[in-house]
Amino acid sequence: MIELSDLHKQFKTKTGPVAAVAGVGFTARDGAITGLLGPNGAGKTTTLRMLYTLMKPDRGSVRVDGRDAYKDAEAVRRSLGVLPDARGVYKRLTARENISYFGRLHGMDEAAIRKSTNRLVEALGMADFIDRRSEGFSQGQRTKTAIARALVHDPKNVILDEPTNGLDVMTTRGLREFLLRLKGEGRCVILSSHIMQEVGALCDHIVVIAKGRVTAQGSPDELRAQTGETNLEDAFVKAIGSEEGLGA
Amino acid sequence: MNSFKTLWTVAAKELIEIFRDRKIIINGLLLSPLLFPVLILGIGALAENRARTQLEAEIKLPVIGAEIAPNLVAFLATQNITAEAPPENPDALIRNQDKDVILRIAEDFADDWRQSRAATVEILHDSSRQDSAIPVRRVERALQAYSQQAGAVRLLARGIDPHLGSALRITHRDLATPEARRGMLLAFLPYLLILSAFLGGAYLVMDATAGERERQSLEPLLATPAGRGAIMSGKIAAACVFGMVGLLLTLLSFKLSFGFVDSGPFKGVDVSMLAIAKLLLILLPMVLIGTTLLTLISASVKTLKEAQSYMAFLMLLPILPTIILLVNPVKNQLWMFATPFLAQNQLILMVLRQETISSQQWAVYLGAGLGLGALLWMIAARLYHREQLAISA
Repeated sequence: MIELSDLHKQFKTKTGPVAAVAGVGFTARDGAITGLLGPNGAGKTTTLRMLYTLMKPDRGSVRVDGRDAYKDAEAVRRSLGVLPDARGVYKRLTARENISYFGRLHGMDEAAIRKSTNRLVEALGMADFIDRRSEGFSQGQRTKTAIARALVHDPKNVILDEPTNGLDVMTTRGLREFLLRLKGEGRCVILSSHIMQEVGALCDHIVVIAKGRVTAQGSPDELRAQTGETNLEDAFVKAIGSEEGLGA
Repeated sequence: MNSFKTLWTVAAKELIEIFRDRKIIINGLLLSPLLFPVLILGIGALAENRARTQLEAEIKLPVIGAEIAPNLVAFLATQNITAEAPPENPDALIRNQDKDVILRIAEDFADDWRQSRAATVEILHDSSRQDSAIPVRRVERALQAYSQQAGAVRLLARGIDPHLGSALRITHRDLATPEARRGMLLAFLPYLLILSAFLGGAYLVMDATAGERERQSLEPLLATPAGRGAIMSGKIAAACVFGMVGLLLTLLSFKLSFGFVDSGPFKGVDVSMLAIAKLLLILLPMVLIGTTLLTLISASVKTLKEAQSYMAFLMLLPILPTIILLVNPVKNQLWMFATPFLAQNQLILMVLRQETISSQQWAVYLGAGLGLGALLWMIAARLYHREQLAISA
């Protein structure tokens, strides 16, 4: 379980301070998919970066399975599988080498890495490119490699920043099934997206973020009730306050 | 997970990545070991050839007023210096480097000569031109010999022993070892070695930090439980291994090419295995200082390009001591062994000249060199813990 409460983060820019996140709080349950929905620049990535301990919030707290993400950062990172916005797959290594590199950094032994890799290759459908160097991989192959790399240590909590970004329809469908499988295994899954249909189809709990703030949250049904709209798309638009950035 | 295992994992991955890039391996590891022998053999042969031809070849010397001093001109001819017809504008010829040296015999030469006064001859030359030094010296020596001969004859004619004119008999005993004299010609060698030690691993270091950041692979890496200090040390270790392998190859190629030289200025330079081992030990702190400094720079810039822009400045650093010593040569003092670049420069020359390096000098050198490396490492580790480092976009 992951609990975020009242997160704030400001960046200094040349034109003065910009509040990227100004009061984000929600709880993501185990065995459920929690979706962060918001237009580009709403503060989703910054929120997730604070969650996976790469940024320190100016205010507020993050607790992962009851542990504070700053006082106990190493243990928290151990229990998280993170797919950052930047995939950053090493081009001169094969997909398998990319995965085992991260396995070793998590302190796993070679046998455990092999077993875990085989499981992920099967689940994500990576068999035909697992031993190829990732130079020249398609966007889908890169994303799959990055996801497998993030999950090699079998983490209880999975954080995915825009996982379907740039993927074709078939790959997206496959990935959705994979995410539902993670949920079925009782993991706590958090993903961010700016695509409304995706969040609507996958998530048990939706957190709508706009301009660094949570403007609405709940199950798809609760969101419809809160906004008084029967159509989910209209509900989102109302929650965000504009139609800006809600692409399909 | 322990830090050492992280360090090892990261270092192994960096080395695998770099060794898969064939062009970088060729440029970074093999090019200089292949180029240096050509350079050494070529320069050696060139220098020797030039010195020999200039020392022995006939000098064609334009003489202004040759008809005034026919005996002098005849004497010069016996010294393999042939007089030529005088040019129109001698100053311009020298300035344009068309002639190395021109002799002008003063108009009142004949009068002075008959009166037994010192007769004036003038050598026109350009002292800033290195390749005219030998001809000028030869002409001057020939003139002095003629002057002495004629002077002695005059004294004898007056019944005076010519030896009375010289109260001192000055002789030289040059105590420089043959190795040391060669060392002077080797002044450029320390620069080449220090430069390859200092910046040999540059590509790998910049790529492993600034490059990874730009390619956005640093964020997932830093989101793992592996400690940042250990990750950074792994990258530094990989670059040090790469740099040391490059140096070893370069030194082995030195050994081979100096072995082939059997004449000229580079003959007999100490390239025993012991000397090579000493050179590697001398350059080890330089490799560490170079990689940690570059890591520090790479961690503080936003892009690979920005990191690379420091290279021009960094390449100048190792040449500073060579220049300073050229202008202001000083005796080795202990503090010099604690000064980066200067210390390496002096120690490498000492090894090549087969001088003994005392244990005190070794201790000061290694202590200061590795200490500076450790200090830079700590600053770099500090930068590695900054929040901005992981955030690429």
